[in-house]
Amino acid sequence: MINLPILPILFPLLAAVLLMFLSKSVKAQRIVSVIASAATVAAAWAVMLKVKSEGIQTVDMGSWPAPFGITLVSDMLSILLVLTASIITLCVVLYSFRSIGSGREAFYYYPIVQFLLVGVNGSFTTGDIFNLFVFFEIMLMSSYVLIVIGGTKVQLRESIKYILVNVISSAIFVIAVGYLYSVTGSLNMAHISSRISEINDEPIITVLAILFLIVFGLKGGIFPLYFWLPGSYAAPPAPILALFGALLTKVGVYAILRTYTLFFYHDQPFTHDILALLALLTMVAGSIGALAYKDVKQILIYNIIIAVGVLLFGIAVMTEESIAGTIFYLVHDMIIKAGLFLLGGIMIYIAGTSNLNKMGGLIRHYPALGWTFLVASFALAGIPPLSGFTGKLLIVRAGFESGEYVGAIVVLLSSLAVLYSVVNLFMAVFWKKPEVPLPETNKQTASLFIPAAALVILSVLYGVGTEAVYPYVMQAVEALIHPEIYIDAVLKE
Amino acid sequence: MSLLHWAILAPFIMAIFVPFLRKKAASIHTGWFVLILPVVLFGTFLQYLPVTTNNDSVMQTASWIPSLGINFTVYMDGLSLLFALLISGIGSLVVLYSIYYLSKTKESLHHFYVYLLMFMGSMLGVVLSDNVIMLYMFWEFTSISSFLLIAYWYDRERSRYGALKSMLITVFGGLMMLGGFLVLSIMGNTFSIRELAAQATELNEHPLFLLAMILVLLGAFTKSAQFPFYIWLPDAMEAPTPVSAYLHSATMVKAGIYLVARFSPIFAFSGYWFWIVGTVGLFTMVWASFNAVKQTDLKGILAFSTVSQLGLIMSLLGIGAASLHFDSLDDNLFTTAVIAAIFHLINHATFKGSLFMVVGIIDHETGTRDIRKLGGLMSFMPITFTLSVIGAFSMAGLPPFNGFLSKEMFFLSMVQLMELNLFNIDTWAVLFPVLAWVGSVFTFIYSMIIVFKVFTGKFQPEKLEKKPHEAPVGMLISPIILALLVVVFGLFPNLLSYSLIQPAAAAIVPSIIPPGEQLYVNIYFWHGINAELLMTIGVVAVGILLYKFMPKWVRVYEYFPGKITLNQFYNAGLYAAERGSNAITNAYMTGFIRTYLVYIFAFFIAALGFTMWAKDAFRYDASAVAPIGLYEGCLIIVLLAATLTILMAKSRLTSIISLGAVGYTVSLFFVIFRAPDLALTQLVIETVSTALFLLCFYHLPKLSRHAEKRRFQAGNAIIAAGVGIIVTLLGISAHSSKFFASINEYYIENTYEKAGGENMVNVILVDFRGFDTLFEIAVLSVAALGIYGLIKLRLEKGGETNENK
Amino acid sequence: MEILMCIVAGLLFAAAVYLMLSKSLLRIIIGTGLLSHGTHLMLLTMGGLKTGAAPVLGEHASSYTDPIPQALILTAIVISFGVTAVFLVIAYRAYQELGTDNMEQLKGMETDD
Repeated sequence: MINLPILPILFPLLAAVLLMFLSKSVKAQRIVSVIASAATVAAAWAVMLKVKSEGIQTVDMGSWPAPFGITLVSDMLSILLVLTASIITLCVVLYSFRSIGSGREAFYYYPIVQFLLVGVNGSFTTGDIFNLFVFFEIMLMSSYVLIVIGGTKVQLRESIKYILVNVISSAIFVIAVGYLYSVTGSLNMAHISSRISEINDEPIITVLAILFLIVFGLKGGIFPLYFWLPGSYAAPPAPILALFGALLTKVGVYAILRTYTLFFYHDQPFTHDILALLALLTMVAGSIGALAYKDVKQILIYNIIIAVGVLLFGIAVMTEESIAGTIFYLVHDMIIKAGLFLLGGIMIYIAGTSNLNKMGGLIRHYPALGWTFLVASFALAGIPPLSGFTGKLLIVRAGFESGEYVGAIVVLLSSLAVLYSVVNLFMAVFWKKPEVPLPETNKQTASLFIPAAALVILSVLYGVGTEAVYPYVMQAVEALIHPEIYIDAVLKE
Repeated sequence: MSLLHWAILAPFIMAIFVPFLRKKAASIHTGWFVLILPVVLFGTFLQYLPVTTNNDSVMQTASWIPSLGINFTVYMDGLSLLFALLISGIGSLVVLYSIYYLSKTKESLHHFYVYLLMFMGSMLGVVLSDNVIMLYMFWEFTSISSFLLIAYWYDRERSRYGALKSMLITVFGGLMMLGGFLVLSIMGNTFSIRELAAQATELNEHPLFLLAMILVLLGAFTKSAQFPFYIWLPDAMEAPTPVSAYLHSATMVKAGIYLVARFSPIFAFSGYWFWIVGTVGLFTMVWASFNAVKQTDLKGILAFSTVSQLGLIMSLLGIGAASLHFDSLDDNLFTTAVIAAIFHLINHATFKGSLFMVVGIIDHETGTRDIRKLGGLMSFMPITFTLSVIGAFSMAGLPPFNGFLSKEMFFLSMVQLMELNLFNIDTWAVLFPVLAWVGSVFTFIYSMIIVFKVFTGKFQPEKLEKKPHEAPVGMLISPIILALLVVVFGLFPNLLSYSLIQPAAAAIVPSIIPPGEQLYVNIYFWHGINAELLMTIGVVAVGILLYKFMPKWVRVYEYFPGKITLNQFYNAGLYAAERGSNAITNAYMTGFIRTYLVYIFAFFIAALGFTMWAKDAFRYDASAVAPIGLYEGCLIIVLLAATLTILMAKSRLTSIISLGAVGYTVSLFFVIFRAPDLALTQLVIETVSTALFLLCFYHLPKLSRHAEKRRFQAGNAIIAAGVGIIVTLLGISAHSSKFFASINEYYIENTYEKAGGENMVNVILVDFRGFDTLFEIAVLSVAALGIYGLIKLRLEKGGETNENK
Repeated sequence: MEILMCIVAGLLFAAAVYLMLSKSLLRIIIGTGLLSHGTHLMLLTMGGLKTGAAPVLGEHASSYTDPIPQALILTAIVISFGVTAVFLVIAYRAYQELGTDNMEQLKGMETDD
């Protein structure tokens, strides 16, 4: 099994192709989707074990040696994120059965979700900067279709904005790749890295660092590039929102993490200071947004932005500890965001609205939902031993250690904003008496609740079992802090 | 995992079973099952008494995240044991009391006991953990369980308000404390409190020392409701009274005291500690006692009283830090303060616990806690009256109760400060006893209010919801036990001296106690006529006068305007946070895509422009450029002309056709620049796109431009020009900075031999970079599916407007 | 020549940005079209212009132009075609459903349901 790393990309691709021909039978689509997603999870798991025991796995596509062909690189960071993304997709697919509606199911919802996973897993895995662009495009194209699928007014209106922003970001991406190619003469990321380290501190590299930050920042939702995000993300139904919130922004963050550790680490006083500043502004702006709204979706969406700020801060500090924290937090945030959006979807489904002022009193009939949401809220706020804690602990500690006192304290305070926003949400939805009594229908939510709860449980286990995860994360950190490891694995020098 | 670990975990495990007990054994009040646990725990902890009496300690570790140094380490010394006994002891009494207080049928008991058990476990975790991260974890658990307990009657608005307020303030403190712990861990390279304490001298000189101290103190002050963070505690009184007695008086609020005591070995040598802890505590004591007098709700009085008493203990711990600056143990005056702090901590738990239970009984039996409605209850509730006299007199510092003893020691400590010549205290020293005395006067007044406004005076049955009568025996047991302790500790204080007080105090100031020796603790009634006794007499005399003439001076409180209280500040702060962020967010989130694009492009220009300027990154190297030919020149002119036409176009047709013209010109460029494949592709794609454009916009309105103001256009033009300039400058710089030969040589050499093709571009596409092409096709397939779905699937027309239907 | 092409690409970018900032949906989409032209020209320029014969071995030239940017552009052209197509159809559907192509009327506040 030499080509193991390609499987988490190949499985969803094959599944997507197969699903395109099964559009007549919703049942068949569901079965194939679940099997394919589960197979992807299994494949990712296998790759992870292999990376753990044998180090970075690379596949030279078409057997053309790096840097001339396209190389897939599964280092620990990639495969951890691939695994997480695949698990989330599986849960979202299960959740979709009862929520997405037969209309969307008949119109290629499932194959497009698989295509999205292809794009996401590909982006995490590829070792070629232009290939990254191609995978971004698959992911984006799938997201365009997912955001608009169903063609409701809100969806159409918001998808225009969404596509426009991403077209611009893609164009900037392509010219950025062009500039980088002109300067380094290569497209292979490991090769680019080694060449950049030869020329060291050229100012053009610093400029390119900022340019790539803009490209990926637009995807990741950093300040001041995130403004398009809340409106667009709120348009599609919950499972799609969960995929977007959990995966898309994180691909942007991943790309920043990768490029800022592999390419742009030579002028840290400049690049990483700008990054730190933007991280702080992102946290503040996200917190302000999270407090501003009385709407389930909006509150959760602004929490995405806060988390992106925390992650960026971890990258900006750029010590072994902070990078470890960033990875811990990245995986945590993907899981818990997916879980929260799915739970939020159930709440909206029960209440028939996402407006907090019109909701209330859900705890009486849906206690399990309420408590699960509260636990997820605490995890989001980073209360130990839940999953958000370890990452935040390491990031804050590293921040203090590097003299970034303000940043470290802002990260801590952002937890308070997170907690306030979600606990307020909890109280309004579950405890408060509704102004207009909700219709007394006991809606069936078990099949929605189980996949959502599974994600929350996973997040709890991830937090409690930090010790078990630790060696994996540290292996990922190793390759990020020492780019030579990554370079040697790819170029086999 | 040792016995102590299980002791911490036991309440959590029990909590899991409570809902089942509630279901399976519904006929028995769930509290009876729960009661077993704290009683057993109390017994278990008592067994550690012999260990700690010798100033020994027990430490056991179970690993959790050893890689990060986060381990479940329990540490039992005198200080921990004292708190553990308080938690399990008062816990038992509170659970017993709650069995009679909460109705089996009307209340959701399983929630109550689950939260209560969670709290008990967390609180034990706080006082028994040696690892700061574990301490933090349990600390936040106490905040959460307190949140849940305050919001026990969650459909009441006030309950939710109080719950959220307490959580926000205490979690804020917890987070800051975590920051302090992390700074400490950087300084000392460990998460263990004991290991940190061992390096106290080095830590004192560390530049981050003060930061760590302030952050940790923020945690302590918020939790123990010190000024200005105390505002959550009065609102926490929305919780059921057993909870107030347990969390918000006897245990949780003392976590801050515990923290200060526990970290004294690390921080207390510093003068800052003495000043911050001492003055904040003392000011809180005075301020809260002054405010307690104006309360009309009995629980409100007790809440402010608790704040005040916590301030008293806090100030004693601060002043006690002075003892570290004297070597000899024999004539070390300031150990008195530390001993007094511990002694008063115990006393407060007893008298305040009983008072809360008394208030709960009054509330339960009359239906109100408002002193304006109560009065003359003495004859109806004689036992309750007796209990309240014992509790309130002890609180007021009257003999023969335990409060008298610790209040005397408090005065003594304050008076002794005048002999201190450390920390530039000089003449300021006199303020300490003065403030202490003023605070005590108000303490005396509100203690009297509790007793006499409720039990004497005019009985007003018309204002009460129920006809008052004595409480059932079960409800009286717990307060009776506590009141007995008040008397016993008052008469025989030395029962506690070397069993509990000395070991706990020794843990606070370990550095001044030589190995094998102990602090000298001897508490007795009669010291002769000295300063502190005169002070007490003064308190009583002035207190009685002020109480008698209260209507004459109570208007003082009106001089404190309601608008600028800390509560107003909190409320306005939250309101402003929500409104303000709403306003801010609405201001920039216009929903208009142009606004967002302006932000994005402005950032693009600013960030890249700044970087290029700051790094002097512009490069211009024309040595390797190709010459400009005639054809190219013509093409450029055509291209620009077509572009200009689009910008100026008034009709959609003109613009679409001009766009086509641009596309065809680009393909001609490809021809000139030796890219035949590109040229062909571009030609085909351009044709198809133009057709698509025409097709899609066949139905659109004729006018393709909406009225746009000149300023609007000018702004757009500036941004557009900026982006264009940046892109150009970057392009020139990148082109002028070719540091390496491209990898393309490989393709030129290998295309034929290895890949068997002649057209390099084709070979790259299908072979070298075939992976790109594969997924490029995938992109097109997704687009095709999407377009198909877009045209065919119209959910809203079918009446399906909402998701999930 | 490369310098000149950089300027041309920059001009295309500027024109594209100007169009995208306007209110009309059609002009915005045309703007994205110009944007991709600018991108592709810039990418081609980055590989160096006219440095040799077309990258087809049959021509037996001593040097060839850089084939890599050409391959990349080919991929990019196809992808941007797909995006343009989807964008057009969405615009068409949006106009049908919402009755306007004026972006200012397509604001829609986040808070409405």
